[in-house]
Amino acid sequence: MKKRSGIGAIVLLASMLGLTSDTAHAMHIAEGILPPQWAALWFALAIPFVAWGLRELRVRSKEEPQLKAMVGLVGAAVFLISCMPIPVPTAGTCSHPCATGMAAILIGPALTVVVASIALVLQALFLAHGGLTTLGADILSMGVMGAFTGYGIFVLARRLGASWVVAAFMAGLLSDWVVYAGTSFFLATALHGDGSLETMFLSILIAFVPTQVPLGILEGVMCAGAYRFVQTRRPEFLMMLTKEREA
Amino acid sequence: MFDVFSDIFACRDNALTRMDPRAKLIVAFGMLVAVLTSGKVFMPLVVFLGCVSAMFAVGMPPRLVAIRLAGPAGIVAVLVLLQAFLVNGTPVLNFSLFGWQISASHEGLARGTLLGARVVGCVSVVLLLSSVTPAYKIFHALRWFRVPEGWIEIALLVYRYTFTLLDQTADVAAAQTVRLGYSTMKRSLSSMGVLAGTVLTRSLDQAVRTHEAMTLRGYHGSIPFGPLPEMSASDRLKVGVAIPAVGLLYVCLERWPW
Repeated sequence: MKKRSGIGAIVLLASMLGLTSDTAHAMHIAEGILPPQWAALWFALAIPFVAWGLRELRVRSKEEPQLKAMVGLVGAAVFLISCMPIPVPTAGTCSHPCATGMAAILIGPALTVVVASIALVLQALFLAHGGLTTLGADILSMGVMGAFTGYGIFVLARRLGASWVVAAFMAGLLSDWVVYAGTSFFLATALHGDGSLETMFLSILIAFVPTQVPLGILEGVMCAGAYRFVQTRRPEFLMMLTKEREA
Repeated sequence: MFDVFSDIFACRDNALTRMDPRAKLIVAFGMLVAVLTSGKVFMPLVVFLGCVSAMFAVGMPPRLVAIRLAGPAGIVAVLVLLQAFLVNGTPVLNFSLFGWQISASHEGLARGTLLGARVVGCVSVVLLLSSVTPAYKIFHALRWFRVPEGWIEIALLVYRYTFTLLDQTADVAAAQTVRLGYSTMKRSLSSMGVLAGTVLTRSLDQAVRTHEAMTLRGYHGSIPFGPLPEMSASDRLKVGVAIPAVGLLYVCLERWPW
């Protein structure tokens, strides 16, 4: 009976979230939600990845001095793209792409973590998307999980013989879904209280399915479209960034 | 978005904008800790009211404050519902839906309200901070807190060029719209891809130009940061008064009703 009520509550919440979702902020954990101990833990886990990215930036920019300008400007582009509203037909609303999969293909996953951390700070300060107290969790989900998944999927798809466009689509799609799953998990760990972690994780996951599943597909399409645009119009940039990374 | 993502109020002259950014960061951090660790809704609500009043006092239009708080307010509503229906406890509302028994608990409602109060409290602190401090000053102040200079250098570049790219993106999007680029779902998807690609290529073009301009000005791979000025005695005094005041308020409100 208790399990039956739990499922009912999840279904009810999913419907309510579907109805109340205005502009979805599902990719970011809002300021103040995480208790201090969880906020500190996720922050501590995120720091090594940011440090890794900064080390890579320092080492690579010695050989290629224009890398910092490239990373800064790609960061600005990622920030803007992640603020673009995308129509989500199933929820009748708009949401935002995370764009870290796309950035990881261009500048590599470690530098994308640095770029994501900066974009998240700016979004927290000026747009009230995410927050400073939840920065660690947001960096882990959007920066680390999104970037490494996007980059890994892109490399894997290319090695399996997929075309550039298909590989970019898969990177955008799966990085978006992984970010969403990660965010749901971080939220559930903080919110379950004395209740079941599994039920809370499942309810958050299901609640955002109507928005995030189509959004992931749309982000995949956008990532493939953007990659194809750069490849056809300015292929020298892709060669330059790939060469820098390989070097 | 340009209206919302603007630091125009941070560039005005008032008592809060004149304060040292490091002092503001310390006080903001103290308030965030107080709100996050509060066990009752009073402290977060007092902080929220104080910060919103301060935003009005520095001349922010109520509409802009409302727009900036709208997203977090939606999250608060979801949080309260989520906690009320998923936390077990004394039922306050029972109903049946497609054969399922749904009940909201008193404990869940209380927990959801506390979490919601913390969200609005913390968001208002951060919004006030960004409303009275330009981002570049926050980034420079972070050096004092030992944030690596490489991160600050990239952050300054991102912030500097976001507004330039934002203008260009708005122009491209407007050009696509008047050419019916968003008239159907298929066209919208194609236009979004082109728009994102255009933003990326323009950003990379700008990166090449920026690097050349910086090299001409003697750039050798890193921006030289000068030493940070000493924090003034009045700002140190403000921090010295504000932090104990927040602590005292926290203790009083956590024990209320006495």
